[in-house]
Amino acid sequence: MTLSKSDDNSVLLVHAYVDAQLDPANALGITQQMGIVPALAAEAERIKALQQLIHERLPREAAPPGLRARIETSIGGLRQDRARPSWRALAASIALTAMVISTATWLAVGSQQPTMVADSLVSDHIRALMAPEPVDVVSADRHTVKPWFNGRIPNSPRVVDLAKENFPLIGGRVDVVGRTPVSTLVYRHAKHLISLTAVPSESRFELEGRRNINGYNVVHWVENGVSYWAISDLEAKELENFAQLFRTSQTEL
Amino acid sequence: MRLVASGAQNPMSGLDDNARFRSIVMPYIDDAYRLAHWLTGNRTDAEDVVQDASLRAFRAIREFAGGSARSWLLSIVRNTAYSWLRKNRPTAVVTVEDLEAVELENAKPGDPNGETPEAALIAKVDTEQLHAAIAALPTPFRETLVLRDIEGLDYREIAEATEVPIGTVMSRLARARRRLIATIK
Repeated sequence: MTLSKSDDNSVLLVHAYVDAQLDPANALGITQQMGIVPALAAEAERIKALQQLIHERLPREAAPPGLRARIETSIGGLRQDRARPSWRALAASIALTAMVISTATWLAVGSQQPTMVADSLVSDHIRALMAPEPVDVVSADRHTVKPWFNGRIPNSPRVVDLAKENFPLIGGRVDVVGRTPVSTLVYRHAKHLISLTAVPSESRFELEGRRNINGYNVVHWVENGVSYWAISDLEAKELENFAQLFRTSQTEL
Repeated sequence: MRLVASGAQNPMSGLDDNARFRSIVMPYIDDAYRLAHWLTGNRTDAEDVVQDASLRAFRAIREFAGGSARSWLLSIVRNTAYSWLRKNRPTAVVTVEDLEAVELENAKPGDPNGETPEAALIAKVDTEQLHAAIAALPTPFRETLVLRDIEGLDYREIAEATEVPIGTVMSRLARARRRLIATIK
């Protein structure tokens, strides 16, 4: 015996009935049909047997022990709650940033189309400034920062020591461009922070140079198949100086 | 600028991203991992997918508008897994169009009036066989079956997680189960 096409709907209802997804009226209707049509009753028996089998043979596996910790680390800030500043102070700074940004966004959108990458990284930079810590790993030692990225992103970044040039390393964090986690190093100059993000070059963002997004200066260059984005509220000239130092520095791990 | 802009509309919510992430996403990491495992086929890739999906969820945490947090996270995991598969194993992804052609008829199990008790046959299947049969299901069938029969989501949650109407969930589920039974018997 085969089920006709018009019985397909009844078959679906049998599945929904076994899954307890039907309202009482429909449940009653399909039970009555199952009493009349043996094929439907048999379908119900098969479903139950299959569910029983799955339940017995395929225990639900928990996530590996380290996964939650890695997620918390990559989210960044999750473990820094203790250092969190007061709500009021943060709310004030967000309100101010929002005001500045909403004005600047108009200009940016109106004049030119900044690439999504730059936009997203400026957001990350602002977010980092608002967070209790702008980095997930705090260290001035490139031998600590570089290995920290191992296992968090596919390629660990080039990290150089520019402390002597007055750009001390603060640490690093993982940002996300599109769906790709990328490394961001954070340097400091006077009281300004610089986020330097390395994006694999397959992203094809080749337009090198300087731009200003929402009041932040962005310097972008491509080097050895890696696309670098330096973002800061530093003056453009100083940020370019930083970029130049980073590019020419040979002190690589 | 999405993050800052939404903070402007509701500055208070901007302070809470970490807390929201903890209450919305973290309780369902096991579910996320299991779905990713079934979709990618191995543990290492599943971990990568879940980690990536978590970052995406964190960035979109203010877009979560209530409802089932689990469905919301699982839909992100699912999309992340498919991006991953398209990139790393393009042949593994079966498009929905391929499937709509598959009639319920094609996946019909054996003669339902036969005297052999089918339930008894099904019960004899061993774990490896069952696992392989589920893994061999086309992805839209597999994800629907996994979300229902392993994860225990209700139809509405599955519809949200897989971004299809409930009617589609129902037909995919029926097809998935019939295929599975036909394979393992």
